[in-house]
Formats: sequence, C-alpha cells, structure tokens
Amino acid sequence: MMTTIDAFLAAKGIYLLTLLLLSLGVAGVIVCNNYMKKLICMNVMQVAVIFFFLCLGQKDPGTIPVAMNEAVKAAEYINPLPHGLMLTAIVVSLGTTGVGLSLLLRIKEKYGTIEEDDLLKKQAQQARRDKKRRELHHPGDDE
Amino acid sequence: MRRAITIILLIVSITVPFIAFDVLPAIGDPASAPNTHVSDYYIEHAIEECNSPNMVTAVIVDYRAFDTMFETTVMFLAGLSVVIILANRPKSRIPAPASLKRLRDTSGNPVYRTVNKDVMISIIEPVILIYAMYVLFHGEISLGGGFQAGALIGMTYLLDIMVVGRKRPIFNLPKDNSAALAGIGPFIYALTGFISIIGGGLYLEYNKMPLPVHQAELHSLGITAVEIGVTIGVAGTIITILNALMERISFDDDND
Amino acid sequence: MTLILQAVLLIGLIGITIAIIFGRDLMTSVVIYCAFSFLTMLLYNIMGAPDVAFTEAVIGVISTVFFIIILRSIDRKTK
Repeated sequence: MMTTIDAFLAAKGIYLLTLLLLSLGVAGVIVCNNYMKKLICMNVMQVAVIFFFLCLGQKDPGTIPVAMNEAVKAAEYINPLPHGLMLTAIVVSLGTTGVGLSLLLRIKEKYGTIEEDDLLKKQAQQARRDKKRRELHHPGDDE
Repeated sequence: MRRAITIILLIVSITVPFIAFDVLPAIGDPASAPNTHVSDYYIEHAIEECNSPNMVTAVIVDYRAFDTMFETTVMFLAGLSVVIILANRPKSRIPAPASLKRLRDTSGNPVYRTVNKDVMISIIEPVILIYAMYVLFHGEISLGGGFQAGALIGMTYLLDIMVVGRKRPIFNLPKDNSAALAGIGPFIYALTGFISIIGGGLYLEYNKMPLPVHQAELHSLGITAVEIGVTIGVAGTIITILNALMERISFDDDND
Repeated sequence: MTLILQAVLLIGLIGITIAIIFGRDLMTSVVIYCAFSFLTMLLYNIMGAPDVAFTEAVIGVISTVFFIIILRSIDRKTK
C-alpha cells in the first residue's frame, strides 16, 4: 500500500498538489477585494513555483549538495543548479513585496481606502466631478 | 460573477494538465533531463576548480557569477524605487484608524524601561551580527553565503528599530543615505570583475587576477570579495525599505 | 517515505491558503502567513535544500514584519 502511494506520488501526485497551490494563489489574487490580501496571495504563488523547480532536481539516493570528501561522484549528490537559481528568486521577491507595499501606502493616502469596490466607486465619482467641472468652465471644449 | 468564472477556470486548469503530467519526469530519477548534461560537471569539478565544497555557492558565485551580479542590481533597484515612490511630502503621517484608538492603554506612560526591552537587546544584537559575519565568510565551506548574511544584518536593524524606537537606533541612516549604501554593493561586485581583465583574462575569471598569492587562493579571494558586495547590497535594500515605510506611519509611543 | 511527508506538508499549505483567502480580519491573514512561511521552510529542509531553507527562514520573518508595519495604518476589518 505504501509503495503504490509512493509510486503515484512520484509520477503525478506531487505535481498535482503543486498545481493546486498555484491555482489557489491565482484565484486569491483575482477574488480577494482587499489589496493587502492580493499581495499575500502573490507570495503564495511564488512558493508554488519555487517548489516545482526544486522538485525537478531531486535524485533518489542523494544527499545535500555539500561535498563530504575529496572524491566526488555525481550520482550521490542532489543537483545544485536549481538551488542556486531559487536562492536569488526568494531574495528578489522581498524587494517586490516592498515596492508593492509602498504603492499601497500611496493609494491609501490618496483615496482613503484599500478595498477594491470602494476604490472603483470613488474613482468613478472623481471622474464624473472632474468632467462636470471642466464642462462648467470651458463649455464645448471637447469638440 | 467574478467568483463564478474564477472557480470554473480553476477546475479546468487543474483537471486538463492532469492528463498531460506524463510528459514531466518522475521525481527522484537520476537520469532525467535536468539532472544530466552540465550539472554533473558542476558537481564533480566544484572542489578542484573553485576551491569550495559547497556546490551551491560554487554555482552561483563562480560558474554563473554574471547572473548574480544582475540579481544584486535588481535588489538595489527595488530599494531605489521605494524611495522614489514615497518621495512626496504629505502634511502628516497616516493616522491610525479609529478602531485602534479604543485599544490603546491610556493609563500610565506607554514608554517604560524594562529589563527585557532595552538591556537584552544590547546583549542579543552583537551575537546576531557576529553570526552574520560567520555566515558570510564560511559560505564556501558550509551552508550560507552573501544573501543570508545581508538579510541577517537587515534583521538586526529591524529588531533595533522595532524595540528601541526612533530615539537612538544602532546606526542612524535616513532613507536616502541607506539607498546610496545599497548601491555600493553592486559596484564592488562589478569592480572585482575588472581586476581579472587587468591580468589578461575574461570578465569575472578569477584564475587570472594579478595578485601575489598561490593559485588555489585566487578563487577564494574572488568569491569572498564578490559576496561582500552582495551582502552590502541586500542589507542596504532592507534598511532602505524599512526606513521609507516607517516614516509614514504613526505609532503609539510617538512624541511628535 | 520523504514523498509522503512532502505531500502531507503540501496539503497543510493548501489549507492555510484557503484560510488566508476567507479570513475576515487582516491580522489573521498576516499571522497565518507567518505560519505559511515556516511550513515552507520545513518543506525545503525535507527536500534536501538547506541553503534555500535558511534563506526562506530569514526572509519570511522580514516580510511578515513589513506587513505588520503597514497594518498600523489600515482598517483591519475586511469583508
């Protein structure tokens, strides 16, 4: 029973769970109304992608990629190439989160809310008010 | 409406690739396509060519050093964009919302000295900084490297500014100065590449640096110099983002 | 055996994501995000990538504190 579960997980199961996590992250970005939850779900998507990369580099009888002794055989160590790429990806995602949060602060200062429906309503209101003011001062300017 | 469409797309996007998962390699297969070709060479020649038992460090700082240079530049650019976005001067900080004011404890002085807050921080912080230096210089031999050390230095600053407040932090860096400090990191990295051009090699080729040391030491020196650049870049960016965000928010124990 | 452990941790991560999406209070989402970061660090350790796990541990803490700093100026109730 354990070997059949192992065989199923190795072929398709873990990829399915990773895809489920990624889809939930994307659904969270679309469905959530609050901008801060969208940023958190963006980080969830990033974890799914990094896990997928690290999955591809595993070897069955392998140990961590630090050499134990001088004579090194390639079949005993896990592939270090995806680890290197993902290391920098994690650190860069910190910078991306920082930029997103600073944009969030500017939105809060200008509109006073960070829920998406209230934000769209306020933007529509301001657009209507600007259009009315422009027509009052310069009538017939659009033609 | 939006939620209904999202749920339908979710179910479709999970079930359709489930049929096509046979194309992907089985997990743990030593003969799959990503595990052959060039990573075998990196594993077997990491010690004799790069003088570092940690293969991940050998890959990111020696074999693929050009990519890491641009990753450090991207970190610096992220810090710079935070400074530029938050460059306007509002009349006051963003006030805390009304629901938080009810929770504030208005009896007694909120700023008080306890043993935990001010004394233990001055004992813990030097230990974390020494650990960051250890992680930086031992990156080749054991786990670690430049990115982790830079993040640890940033975490020290974060701890200090959270606990002690704005009165006397550990080093006084306004956000413009720390953005300039974060720029020194990629500069050191790029400078190390030019030294090997002087010796007659390619860019970032550590074998041909014209330094009067033994041949096996050149790689170690090159890797250490480059990792110092990465550390300064990452630490500077974290300090910049922290300072830029904390200038706009009003806290409980503010006196202004 | 490690594959079964990885699958169990992944199911935990999926449950945490559902809790983040359907939370009513923003502080709940941020604290659960800290637990999410911790579980991913355990996952990277089990898979044999301790360098990546070290980085994720440090960056997860800093990222969570960024979110908590912003939370001081934002209404915590959301629908």
